[in-house]
Amino acid sequence: MQLVIQNLSKTYSNGVQALKNVSLTINQGMYGLLGPNGAGKSSLMRTIATLQDADSGSITLGNLDVLRDKHEVRKILGYLPQEFGVYPKVTAETMLDHIADLKGIVDKKQRKEIVSTLLDRVNLAHVKSKNLGTFSGGMKQRFGVAQALIGNPKLIIVDEPTAGLDPAERNRFYNLLSEIGENTIVILSTHIVEDVTNLCNDMAIICLGEVIAQGNPNTLVDSMQGKIWSKSIEKSEMNVYRNSFQVISTQLKAGKTQIHVVSDVQPNESFKPVEAGLEDVYFSKISERMDVVTV
Amino acid sequence: MFLSIFLFELKYRLKRPATWAYFGILFLFAFTVGIYGSGPASEKTFVNSPHAIATMLAIMSIFQILIASAIMGVPIYRDLEYQTKDYFFTYPIREKAYFMGRYLGSFAILFLVCTGFIFGLWVGEPLGLLTGEVEPERSGPFVLSHYLYPLLVITLPNIFFAGTIFFALVALTRKILSTYVASVLLFIGYLVAVTLSQDLDNKNLVDILDPFAFTTYQNATKYWTPYEQNNLLIPLQGNFLINRIVWIGFSLALFAFTYFRFSFKSLLEVSLGGARKTEERDEKKMRSLADLPVVQKAYSQSIFIKKLFRLAFLEFRNITKDFYFIAILLAGVLFLFLDGWFGDITFGTPSLPLTYYMLEVKDFNYIIFVFIIIIFYTGEVVHRDKAAHYSNIADALPIPNWVVYGSKFLSLALVSFVLVNLVLVCGVLNQIIKGYFNFQFSMYFTDLYLIELPEYLQLVMLAFIVHILVNNKFMGHVVSIGIWVAMFGLRNFAELDYNLFFYSYTPGYRVSDMNGFGHFLEPLTWFNVYWLSLGIIFLIIGNLFWNRGSETGFKARLKLMKQRFSGTSAVFLTFFTLLWLGSGAFIYYNVSVLNTYRTNKESIKIGVEFEKKYKKYEFLAQPKVTDLKINMDLYPEERAARAYGKFVLVNKTNHPIDSLMLEHGSDMTIEMLRIDGTDLQRVFEDKTNSIYFYLLPKTMQPGDTLLMEVQVDARYKGFPNNGLGRLMVYNGTFFDLRIFPSFGYSGDKINSDKERKKHGLPKKDYSAPPQDDPYGLSTLLFNNDADYVTFEATVSTSADQLAVAPGYLEKEWEENGRKYYHYKMNSEMDLFANFSSARYAVLRDVWKVDNNEEVNIEIFHHPTHTYNLDRFVTSVKASLDYFSKNFSPYQYTQMRILEFPRYASFAQSFPNTVPYSESFGWAADFSDPNKTDYVFYVTAHEVAHQWWGHQVTPSFTRGANQISESMAEYSALMVLDHEYGKDVMQNRLKYSLDRYLRGRSSESKFEETLLNNDSRAYVWYDKGSLVLYALQDYIGEEKLNSGFKKFIDTAAFRQNPPFATSNEWYSYIKEVTPDSLQYYLQDSFEKITLYENRVTKATYEELAKNKFKVNLTVQTKKIYYDSAGRDISEGQGKDLIEIGIFAEDGKNDKGMTQKTPLYLKKHWLTPGEHTLEFTVDQKPVKAGIDPYNKLIDRIPEDNVKVVERK
Repeated sequence: MQLVIQNLSKTYSNGVQALKNVSLTINQGMYGLLGPNGAGKSSLMRTIATLQDADSGSITLGNLDVLRDKHEVRKILGYLPQEFGVYPKVTAETMLDHIADLKGIVDKKQRKEIVSTLLDRVNLAHVKSKNLGTFSGGMKQRFGVAQALIGNPKLIIVDEPTAGLDPAERNRFYNLLSEIGENTIVILSTHIVEDVTNLCNDMAIICLGEVIAQGNPNTLVDSMQGKIWSKSIEKSEMNVYRNSFQVISTQLKAGKTQIHVVSDVQPNESFKPVEAGLEDVYFSKISERMDVVTV
Repeated sequence: MFLSIFLFELKYRLKRPATWAYFGILFLFAFTVGIYGSGPASEKTFVNSPHAIATMLAIMSIFQILIASAIMGVPIYRDLEYQTKDYFFTYPIREKAYFMGRYLGSFAILFLVCTGFIFGLWVGEPLGLLTGEVEPERSGPFVLSHYLYPLLVITLPNIFFAGTIFFALVALTRKILSTYVASVLLFIGYLVAVTLSQDLDNKNLVDILDPFAFTTYQNATKYWTPYEQNNLLIPLQGNFLINRIVWIGFSLALFAFTYFRFSFKSLLEVSLGGARKTEERDEKKMRSLADLPVVQKAYSQSIFIKKLFRLAFLEFRNITKDFYFIAILLAGVLFLFLDGWFGDITFGTPSLPLTYYMLEVKDFNYIIFVFIIIIFYTGEVVHRDKAAHYSNIADALPIPNWVVYGSKFLSLALVSFVLVNLVLVCGVLNQIIKGYFNFQFSMYFTDLYLIELPEYLQLVMLAFIVHILVNNKFMGHVVSIGIWVAMFGLRNFAELDYNLFFYSYTPGYRVSDMNGFGHFLEPLTWFNVYWLSLGIIFLIIGNLFWNRGSETGFKARLKLMKQRFSGTSAVFLTFFTLLWLGSGAFIYYNVSVLNTYRTNKESIKIGVEFEKKYKKYEFLAQPKVTDLKINMDLYPEERAARAYGKFVLVNKTNHPIDSLMLEHGSDMTIEMLRIDGTDLQRVFEDKTNSIYFYLLPKTMQPGDTLLMEVQVDARYKGFPNNGLGRLMVYNGTFFDLRIFPSFGYSGDKINSDKERKKHGLPKKDYSAPPQDDPYGLSTLLFNNDADYVTFEATVSTSADQLAVAPGYLEKEWEENGRKYYHYKMNSEMDLFANFSSARYAVLRDVWKVDNNEEVNIEIFHHPTHTYNLDRFVTSVKASLDYFSKNFSPYQYTQMRILEFPRYASFAQSFPNTVPYSESFGWAADFSDPNKTDYVFYVTAHEVAHQWWGHQVTPSFTRGANQISESMAEYSALMVLDHEYGKDVMQNRLKYSLDRYLRGRSSESKFEETLLNNDSRAYVWYDKGSLVLYALQDYIGEEKLNSGFKKFIDTAAFRQNPPFATSNEWYSYIKEVTPDSLQYYLQDSFEKITLYENRVTKATYEELAKNKFKVNLTVQTKKIYYDSAGRDISEGQGKDLIEIGIFAEDGKNDKGMTQKTPLYLKKHWLTPGEHTLEFTVDQKPVKAGIDPYNKLIDRIPEDNVKVVERK
């Protein structure tokens, strides 16, 4: 099964064009969707998750027309929205059971088993009888993951799932995602490059509503190898460097600012070559569209 | 520092749109009231009178509770809500400065907002004058103090009270929730308190305990005449002053308490819910995702239907678990229960908890709570998932729209179902507690499930579509409420009431034990089909627009709607549209084709036209009826009657008569009209006004006699927009001779001076001509078509009913499955007869006179209404005793009382026959002997009309109705006095005093004296009662009755004019009154006179055993008023006034509380203060001046005082 997105465009009523002619082909496995805040990731995710329509273009999932056969898509969908709420006065267990019921799992015993396994898996078993209103941000996020995994979904969409998780929780989440069977499409949207590096073998970078790069992360990194140069500068010199070089990222290190620039050849001796990472790929792609250095 | 915090608060608040929104609402409301002059002012009171302004400010200050909670709750909460507290309080601010600055800043804003109402009046009132919406004579001069004074003494202390409570709650509890709860509780609690205070006895306590001084103000000013309302400000004295001091004091104390308790520390405390468990995990034990079983998923229709109910129940639980829902519901139920508990009170006497009454209370206060619950919780339910951001998950679940959407509607339907059933629960509970076990469940079910539940569902359906289309909770509420406010405004202010155009409105109905739901069920069902169809159309459209997904723009949803629109929706939509339009067409056919619908304005216009066209025939010579034979066929199940009348007509005027001018009711058709056997020729017809002229075959010369035959068909066709249609009903038909056409001009239809002026009609001061008017003297008051007549009637009705008309039953038979009754009157009577038919049970009794004559007493009653039958009988007997002994013999040998359905609530005395409304005592609860036995009283009143009305029939002149009504009141009071003793009289007469004083204070023309009053019920019933009862007390019962006896001797059955006038009546009263008391007659009959009597000091000392010296200081004052209610002078001479000293109250043999006078005597007192000294032989408890309140006095309570030891 393949998720094929073709020429998808969407403009909101306030004039913001969220998606511009987006075309992607997503195979089974973990797919990363990387982009800065406001890139259009969530719009794309919501459209795939049947929550909004596009102005033009198409999405197909196997034989399903996602934009028309919403109900059929929902039957095999697991969706973790970027922002979501819960009923504060309902316990985690009751709520998951309720959602399982709504997802079509009619058998009570099965529901119970699934809910308890998932609660265990997302480390909420010990608070399953607590009202959701008392959950911390991380606990709530884990609850969100659990509900998305109910019902053996064939298409899982997780929108900024690691936001608000501490490093240990994030690790556990990676482990959890990696357990998901291989014949499932998992789309992970994030603005954290590390997420994609760790999990995905296929990805796209999206910025200002457009797909600006896609492919295997390693291939993308390889294409940048030998083109990234680093230098420590004074903060006051920043403007000079920005005017002369394609600065893609800055980082403070021991009171000095370390910059990465893209260049096919060494700009001058003061720049040292560094090994390119996915981060460099990401920033170099983004910097072509927008100002990434805002310091 | 204080100043900067204060100024910051002011500046911040002045920039908030909410501040101006509150101000604007008050301004706009006052502005509208100002322009349309629709404030609380009767016709003779200025719309900008100080009384009207103060009343409005008092009412508004109750609604300002809600504004006060919004404004005074937030200033401290703001720092908690936006978490500015975490740094704000690290600044070098002193707590007290912060507290005062925030408090005073907010309070200044609150006060400013409240002045919005005054500004609205200031702009609206001149505009009203300018645009002509308010007539110049309805507007007084602009006086600044009339606005500022009530603002200072009413509004300011009230918002200080409410504002301080809300401020204190947040400052002390840190929870904004507490102010919401408090505002709801305060508002509702206040309404409850006002309801409870209806009982007259608690007056003083209520006056002081009312934190908003609303009832205090009402009580202090309720007897103000129009003149006083136009000129006086409420004086700061008495209960009003105490009230203000108490509540300002309370608010200050609360303020001080909060001020000293308040500290930053408590505000900053972090609340750590429950201690959190440390998270433990054991990675090894963890189950893998691969362990997740492969689940079976199912998505069939039947599963979805199950889910629909499951979700609905979940949603229902969500609603019912909500704290506010429970609070509002409990308050509503409390009202429901209390309204039922206090019951239907007449003269202070409650009714048994009949099922129809238990049902009726649902529309008193409960309906307001139902409205609030339905509108607000529809909003909650529609927006719940979005508001909780849960929709991001829920909307992507594989559940069809209709399941989610349907479950939301079902949950509210379930709430509605609970709401109607609470009426049943409260009703039955009330009945059980009161020991009444005739539950009539079918009546409960019919009303609640067939009439009320559809109405609640319609409310839900409208709120549903509004919330879905508006798609914003707050705006949804605004629009939903706005729709109802607009409909209410259009109906009440624009006087549009065509039910077909007002969502969820149906014709009014009334449930009766006699007639059940009668003819009302049919129109109600049609209207409910009509509105439910529209509601379902709303639901279908709502489903198409249901906001699923993340896009909320209308365009996006329109697109979705097109996607969703399916064949099924189309079929349903078409079906319900057809049903809606079809039922609408049927209703229209009934309301506007079979019946005539007129707006109030149209009716007035027709009334005006009627007067302009036909007033010239007011004194047109027309014949009078002298003999009447009727065949009346009643068809109760068709709500129809066919009436055939044979009238002997005589020209009693001095003019020849060549044509008849006839007028008849709108539901009647004249099928035949013959004079001496030949059909009459109709020469003029005006169907709008139902006026017809017929040419007589031969001119009637003075003294000529003709035989007129009329055949009339009367029936209700279909159902009208509104109205009870009470004359002909399935069980309990009761109508009078107006079923036949009447002669000549029937009288003006427009009486309001305001309307008359607007439509160019001359000002109308009186509706009857003066006492020396020849036409008035030669016409009887109740009917200008006849003097005394002879009467005979054959009445037929359905086989299961019993039909009655005045006269003696001569013959009774059955024919063609119908019952026939032939009634004949043995002597002459005035032209006044009723026709009644119902499934009656009859109680018979006999009253025996000394000379062996007998009078048959018959009570025709609804079979289950047997509770008070003995009281009717006892009263008839006691009345016949008293009247025949003191006035003249009874002219008939039977007396009948007939119950009729409660579509009207009066009793009316026809010759030897009295129709008596179902709601008027048949089910009254007289278990408390101290409650007035009004069944006894009203029956005596109606029996008295056999003398005052039927023996002496007054002329059509000013003042003459006192001969009928005041005398019937007096006669009934005396019978009551003899049966129950003097002590019940004060309790009974306090209602007359109250109604008289209220009547004159809301007078719309001017007050008239007893001698000249022609149209004011409060004068003929209530002033008449008070004056005549006091008069017999002053001059002696027998003496006064001897005058009345003389009067009746000369005036009874007077065949020829001049008929009796009030002057004639008065002359007999004067004759029996001693010279020394003639002043009382003049004061009471010829003038408008009020006393101000009070006792200011009462002390005693014990001189010896069983010897007590009592010192009393009393004041007396007598004030004369002009007809506008302005005091013109004070009495100067001596007045005879009773002084009384009393021991502890005792009980008489009937178990009633009884006063125990130690001293009781009338004294001649000059106006002013008197100190009196008495010696009594028991310990005195109470003492005072005019202790039985026999004289008219606006503050009767201060006549008696507890006597204190010196």
